[in-house]
Amino acid sequence: MDFPGSLRPTVFMTGPLGLSDVPDMSFMCSWRDALTLPESLPQNSENGVPHVAKGLLWEPETPGPLPLLPPGPDPWHPGLTAQDLLFRGGHPFQKQPRVVLDVTEQLSRFLWDHGDIAFAPLGKLMLENFKLEGARSRSKKKTVVSVKRLLQDLDGHQPWGCPWAYLSYRQRRFSILGGPILGKSVANLLGDLLHEELVTRWEQLLLDDAFTGGALAWVPGKTPRVGQLVYPAGSTLDKLYFQEVSLTPGGNPQVLRDPGHIQLRGPVRQVVTRTVQGESLLAVRSDYHCALWKISRQGRPAPLQVLQVEKGATGISLSPHLPGELAVCSRSGAICLWTPQDGLRRVYKDPDTLVFRDPSPWRWADFTAHPRVLTVGDRTGVKIVDTQGPPGCGLLLFRGGAEASCQKGERVLLTQYLGEGSPESLHSTLHLICTQFSLYLVDERLPLVPMLKWNHGLPSAPLLARLLPPPGPGCPRPLLLGGQDGQLQLLHITGEEASTPRLAGPPQSLPSRNDSLSAFPVLEPKSQWRLQERLKAPTIGLAAAIPPSASTPILSLFQLSAAGDVFHQCLRLQADPGPDSCAPTVSWSPQATACCSQWLKALLEVPPAPPVWAAPTFSHRRLLGCVEQREVEGKVPEGLRAAMAEGRLLQQRDLGSLPTAEPPPAPEPGPDDELSKRLEAAWEGRAAAWWERRQGWSSGPRQQPKRHKRRTQLSSTFSSLSGRLELSDATSPPPSPDPEARPRPPGTPPSQELAQEHWARGVPSERQQTLRDYMAKLPLREDPLEDASAPPSQTSSIRATRSRQRTLQDNTAKPPLQMDTPEGVSVPPSQTSSIWATRSRQRTLQDNTAKPPLQRDTPEGAFVPSSQTSSIQATPSRQQTPVLSGSQRIRKKPRMGF
Amino acid sequence: MSDFSEELIKSTTEDDQGERCELSGTGMHFPWLQKHIETVATGGKKEKDFAQTTSACLSFIQEALLKHQWQQAAEYMHSYLQVLEDSDSCKRQAAPEIIWKLGSEILYYHPKSNVEAFNTFADRMKNIGVMNYLKISLQHALYLLHHGMLEDANRNLSQAETWRYGEKSSSQEVLINLIQAYKGLLQYYAWSKKKMELSQLDKDDYAYNTASQNMLDHSWKTSVNLGALIQIPGVWDPFVKGYVEMLEFYGDQDGAREVLTNYAYDEKFPSNPNAHIYLYNFLKREKAPREKLISVLKILYQIVPSHKLMLEFHRLLRKSEKEEHHKLGLEVLFGVLDFAGCTKNITAWKYLAKYLRQTLMGSHLAWVQEEWSSRKNWWPGFHFSYFWAKSDWKEDKALACEKALVAGVLSGKGTWLCFLFI
Repeated sequence: MDFPGSLRPTVFMTGPLGLSDVPDMSFMCSWRDALTLPESLPQNSENGVPHVAKGLLWEPETPGPLPLLPPGPDPWHPGLTAQDLLFRGGHPFQKQPRVVLDVTEQLSRFLWDHGDIAFAPLGKLMLENFKLEGARSRSKKKTVVSVKRLLQDLDGHQPWGCPWAYLSYRQRRFSILGGPILGKSVANLLGDLLHEELVTRWEQLLLDDAFTGGALAWVPGKTPRVGQLVYPAGSTLDKLYFQEVSLTPGGNPQVLRDPGHIQLRGPVRQVVTRTVQGESLLAVRSDYHCALWKISRQGRPAPLQVLQVEKGATGISLSPHLPGELAVCSRSGAICLWTPQDGLRRVYKDPDTLVFRDPSPWRWADFTAHPRVLTVGDRTGVKIVDTQGPPGCGLLLFRGGAEASCQKGERVLLTQYLGEGSPESLHSTLHLICTQFSLYLVDERLPLVPMLKWNHGLPSAPLLARLLPPPGPGCPRPLLLGGQDGQLQLLHITGEEASTPRLAGPPQSLPSRNDSLSAFPVLEPKSQWRLQERLKAPTIGLAAAIPPSASTPILSLFQLSAAGDVFHQCLRLQADPGPDSCAPTVSWSPQATACCSQWLKALLEVPPAPPVWAAPTFSHRRLLGCVEQREVEGKVPEGLRAAMAEGRLLQQRDLGSLPTAEPPPAPEPGPDDELSKRLEAAWEGRAAAWWERRQGWSSGPRQQPKRHKRRTQLSSTFSSLSGRLELSDATSPPPSPDPEARPRPPGTPPSQELAQEHWARGVPSERQQTLRDYMAKLPLREDPLEDASAPPSQTSSIRATRSRQRTLQDNTAKPPLQMDTPEGVSVPPSQTSSIWATRSRQRTLQDNTAKPPLQRDTPEGAFVPSSQTSSIQATPSRQQTPVLSGSQRIRKKPRMGF
Repeated sequence: MSDFSEELIKSTTEDDQGERCELSGTGMHFPWLQKHIETVATGGKKEKDFAQTTSACLSFIQEALLKHQWQQAAEYMHSYLQVLEDSDSCKRQAAPEIIWKLGSEILYYHPKSNVEAFNTFADRMKNIGVMNYLKISLQHALYLLHHGMLEDANRNLSQAETWRYGEKSSSQEVLINLIQAYKGLLQYYAWSKKKMELSQLDKDDYAYNTASQNMLDHSWKTSVNLGALIQIPGVWDPFVKGYVEMLEFYGDQDGAREVLTNYAYDEKFPSNPNAHIYLYNFLKREKAPREKLISVLKILYQIVPSHKLMLEFHRLLRKSEKEEHHKLGLEVLFGVLDFAGCTKNITAWKYLAKYLRQTLMGSHLAWVQEEWSSRKNWWPGFHFSYFWAKSDWKEDKALACEKALVAGVLSGKGTWLCFLFI
């Protein structure tokens, strides 16, 4: 191999990072690279200096990438944000805002949400100091507190930040008694752990290196136009998909058939592919496992090997020289080489970092031009290690320090061998090293001195890079650099074997998925927000292919987002477009927007992710009742209890055979769907007018006709009422605390309506369910069954009502599916879990716009919302119970809630 | 002059800023940290409107540059110049460098820009603040050099060479050395042009004498300019090459040897293969003894075993009388063929096939075994696979034959015979 005859002048200084006295020779200009000194200027000066293609530009065909595949069926949640972790209060005296992790709030939230975990062990220890319900009083000691009384005192207080909460004598005693233990020990034990956890989460938010290298790969097929995209999808990214794609001469890819998939046991973090000696290999890294497949010529994967990495794998790379060889790095600092002949062999192990101390356990390994020499990288540097030599020794290839004029705090984020193994490829000795600030190209024959340095300035961690083959003879090679937040940069790398690599033109940025937002139709804010979140999902994979084309070279770029979406973009090379090279603006084609709307439609059909966290509500009396209601038998509650005790998901088998229940008929929006009309009007800002119109219409002479018609109206009024409550801020005067003053559904006083014995008779069947649900929300009757356990605390029940109403409003299309499961089951309403579930379920319902989430059937659906249970129980018993009492309560009820 | 003193305390304030971006514990800096904080922070001192507009403008310029919208970038740049008036001294000092970087980039690529515009811009920028004078001068000179304006570049460098401000810091010193070296390089270019002219002249000509006198004059100046820089650790290939050529021309062989030896063997310098190659070439020109040449190439072999000079090294070793050199000759050939970039080097394969036979006939089977033992588990897959056999046969029959020969010798009979019969 030839070595460049004359290298670019560079000062070489040893020292730590951020040494201010080193003149930064690179100066970060892309044009500086054009200024390589010619070997001998005089001969060369006539025909000018090395030509720099000023107008070298890959022009995107659309303003942003387009979705290639329909969104997956699983919901996706963006996860934690800085707002969840950082202290939100101001620091009025500080010039710059500082990062403060909000341990206090998290701790108090934890104590509040998971009191059982936090306090249960202590509670057990202090058992003798509590007198539980049922246990007759045994002692008169002052150190014994009656739990029932205590909870009764607490009832009604939501102590969450309420300084005026009334403290009874008992509570005072309890807090004096328990305070020192409950307060300090829990905080002491948990505080440190929680802080540690928050720090890890925050670090993860700043830099999530799990997907370093990227989880999307392009496996070339039999012909250059056909290939396979290999990527993980699914809510946990544990399904590896193989999607065959054909690239048309125009550059647009066509999905050939339904993707095949392999179900794995863990989330896929990295997918690597190489074609070595005509053999396509695919390596996959999960958190604790790595696997290798061979892809046959027909495109079918055949498993070769699975490796387990106990400490967690951080990187995997396939040898470009020998088929089937791969290097795996583990968090423990070990690098292993797996070869088909010798199996797994540890070639390097050092728990410490290479150059200076850095806490990150991230390690990386890649191959070099010599098949038995590997590079070993960590955050501080990269080393060349001979796997056949004595262990541990090697030569530093890159050092985070003054040698490469690194900045203070600069760390290696990605290293990659750019050679391809085939002897024809240039750059077979080049390595790419990315830090959060810069990109370096280092030749392994001249360690420590970067051949090229470019300050990429990406606003997120560059964890993805792909060097592509030259699109045409004599063209520079495109080097793609992808940031975690979706930013993409393309560099033109040129330089034959006998000259140093350099930038052949100014680097360019490529559109990110965020730029595609304008191709989607405008949505109502909630869906718009969802779409935005989805487009903003971190990029976890990058793949590109250059299909052979007759005219201008085309680059097909695929990106994979953390939500499992594969987006595609087509770029066209524009070499020297002329003197007035004003980058032409491209616009969306009708096909592109159609594609986007179709994708969006599918996306909106995907149920939104259930909230990561939902505050549970407590009803102390019910909690207490739980202790007593032990005698309920049956397999179902036992199964429930067992599942709860183990803290696992409830499965069908726990519940035994369920009585099959008829699914409730779906409410079909009648010809006279007032809700949607009303919403429509509200959207156009004419809600008040609509109300007026409606009031006039219903209070008019047509008020009398038929009873059942009014009843139909009633059910819709509930929904319109809830709508009204929501709109109150904008259009109507604020609702007065007195429920009597609330705008009543026109002409139909609810008490009167509900007083009807056969209230359900005239109501269309689809409305009956709705109505029943609604009624169930209100503790209408004194149910004998319910008597044993006290009625739910009023506040929570009202809250439930309210959210339920909202659900009704949101749920225009279908009633929640999950009803078919629980309805038949008679689960005691006093189950603790059901209380817990109620609240979160209501949330879910509330968020649920189109369809119920799939997973409802199994785990959550089995928890019966208390409200529904009571409705089930209420329905048969309604005939005997005087309903009037219920109707009176409904009028009192809201007084406390609103 | 007030901002000069400010600039000198710049380093401390920079450190403070650094602390701010630091994450507790790890010491890593995140350029995107501020973005996260901004989503949360409600308190703290708000950025002034001025700072907000300038930082927004900066990001617009960067975006336009990355989209190759030079026109637009230039327009934004026009507005961005206001940052020079920033009341925040820290930002005001950082500004000239940013403006220079972005501005020079715009002017370099802008379709309507020309050398004059660039010159004006560079001259202006040099004199805003004091910290950037040398750097900008150097880059300006390189720009001119790139555009073939050697005289202007030379003038520029001469101006910068004499510039001083305050106490000479080490970075300033390096820069000044560098500027002098570039000046020396320009003189070298002029010299080598003259040398060419001279070679075309008749020796008895009158003009010859003046020309050679001129050259002498030049060389003296150049040696002063180049000599200082190449003492500083670094990669100075073009300078060293030029300097050595001039020294050689004037018969200062010892000086040239010293320069090259120092460049190659000084521990403080990075292990630059070119330093050894230059030294080897020099020694070869000097007709140095074989032993000497071998010792130079031995070091190059340790640094870059894949270099094309290794075949020459092998020839030298083969011709040597020493037995250990013969053994090394085999090692070198195996070493070359280890590398992915050399697998199709037919000369290396030819040498290996020939030398293997020679070695085996010289009953040095142990040498071959020693080399082969570390390679026997991967060379077959790497070189002698069915795939390569097929493709080599298709592309280069001679290569395929040589490889098959080697494979046959190395792996004993039969194993890789498939290679022969494809």
